[in-house]
Amino acid sequence: MKRRVLILTAASLLLVLLVGQLNHYLALWQMHVWCGGLFVAFVALRLGYRTGAASVFAAGLLLDAGVPAAFGTQGFLFLAAHAVIFTVRARAPRDETIIGVMVALFANLGLFLALCFLRMDSTMDPAQSWMRAFADLLISQIVLALIAPWFFAVQTRLLEANGTSLRATTRTSRFAL
Amino acid sequence: MLPQRFDQAKPFLTLGIALLAWLLIPTAVKRMARTSFFELQAPLQTTASYVRDLQDFWSLKTRSKNELIEAGRDLARLNAAYEARLQQDAALRAELERLERILKLPTPPGYRAEPARVVLRDFSSWWQRLVIRKGHNYGLVEGAPVIYAGGVVGRVREVHAYTAVVELVSSPGVRIAATTEGDTRPISYQGGVNPTYGPAVGTVEYVPLDIFVTPSAPRRLVTSGLGGVFPPNLTIGFLIRVEPSSDGLFKSGDVRLDPALSALNEVTVLVPEPAASAR
Repeated sequence: MKRRVLILTAASLLLVLLVGQLNHYLALWQMHVWCGGLFVAFVALRLGYRTGAASVFAAGLLLDAGVPAAFGTQGFLFLAAHAVIFTVRARAPRDETIIGVMVALFANLGLFLALCFLRMDSTMDPAQSWMRAFADLLISQIVLALIAPWFFAVQTRLLEANGTSLRATTRTSRFAL
Repeated sequence: MLPQRFDQAKPFLTLGIALLAWLLIPTAVKRMARTSFFELQAPLQTTASYVRDLQDFWSLKTRSKNELIEAGRDLARLNAAYEARLQQDAALRAELERLERILKLPTPPGYRAEPARVVLRDFSSWWQRLVIRKGHNYGLVEGAPVIYAGGVVGRVREVHAYTAVVELVSSPGVRIAATTEGDTRPISYQGGVNPTYGPAVGTVEYVPLDIFVTPSAPRRLVTSGLGGVFPPNLTIGFLIRVEPSSDGLFKSGDVRLDPALSALNEVTVLVPEPAASAR
C-alpha cells in the first residue's frame, strides 16, 4: 500500500508542477486554473479506500503547502470528496475514462465552490469576486476535461509499472487495499 | 462482517476521526509538515524557472549582431544618465546627513537591495503571489518590501530556505498607507478584485474631499512611508476614480495598477539593514 501511495503522490506532484507552470503563463491574462477534482477522481473510482484516501490527502497537503490558507484545508476537502465518490462508485461503470472525466469535472466544481466560500475576501465586492471566480472555474473545467484522460493514463501506467493490476483491485473487497 | 449500512458510512466515519486527530495535532508539527511539503516542491519549480531562463538565453542567441550593438549603445546612454544621477544622489545624501546632524534628527532606516528572479506567478481570484528565487540563503526577512522599475510589487510573506513568497500589491489582503503625489495626507490603499484579461486594480479609502481625478487625468498614488515598511514616494498605481464615501467625510475610489505586474521576471527585495533595524 505504501508504495502505491508514494507512486500516486509522485503523480500528484507532477500535476501540481505542470498546473503551476500553466498558471505562471496564464497570469499574464489574470487567469488561474485549479484542478483539484483531478487528484481525487481516479483514485476514488479505481482504488481501495485506504490507498486512495492516503494519496488524496497527501495531494491536498502538497497544494496546501504553497497557499496562504490553513494547512490541511484542501487535504480534508479532498478526503471528503473521495469519501462521497467512493460511496457511490458502485453505481457507475467506473472503469470507463469518460465516467472518470465526468466525475473529475463534478468533483472539481464542488471543491472549487467550497474553496471559494472558504477563501473569498468578505470585504471585496461579491459580484466582482464571483465573476472572477466563475471565469477561473470555466477555464479550470476546460483544462481539466482536456488533461484528465492523460493524467488517468499516467496514474494507470505508474501503478502497472509497480505491479498493481487495476482489474484485480476492482474485484477485491472495498476496504482491503 | 459489518452490516451494510455501517459499511457505507465507514468512509465518512474515517473522515471524521481523521479531522478530529488533525485538530489535536500541535501547530508546530503542522508548520513543520507544511514547510517540508513546500521544500519538496521548491527544487522542481526552481528548476523549471532555470529552464525558462535557458530558453530565453537561446532565443536571445538568435538575435543578429546589429541588434546587440544597438542594445549596447542604448544601454551605454542609460548608464551615462544613471552615473550622473548617482553623483547627484551622493551630493544630496551628504547634504541630508549634514542637516540631520545639525537638527539632531533620527536617521531613517536603510535597506539593502536584493534583486531576485521570479520562479512562479500565482494569480487567482483569492490571492496574487510570486515565488522568487532567493530566501533565507540571502538573508530575506518576512514583511520586507519588494519593488521593481515601475514601483511597488508587494511584500515578502513567507521566507523559505532558497525561495520566498511575495504577496502582490494587487492581492486583496494587502493594505498600504499611501498618499497622492504632492500631498502628505495619508490614504488607505487595498488590493482589489482583479478582472480576467484586464490590468490589476486596487481600491482606496479615506481620500481627502478636495482630491479630484478622472480616468483621463489620473493622479499618481505613492507610498507614504508611514508604518515603516515601504520607503516613501514609491509608485503604487494611478488613482482613476474617486467618489464620496457613505459617511461624507472622505472619498473612496479605484486605483489602476501597472499591467507589467502580471509579467514580472525580476524584482528587488529591500532587506532592512541590521544596523538600522537595531536602532
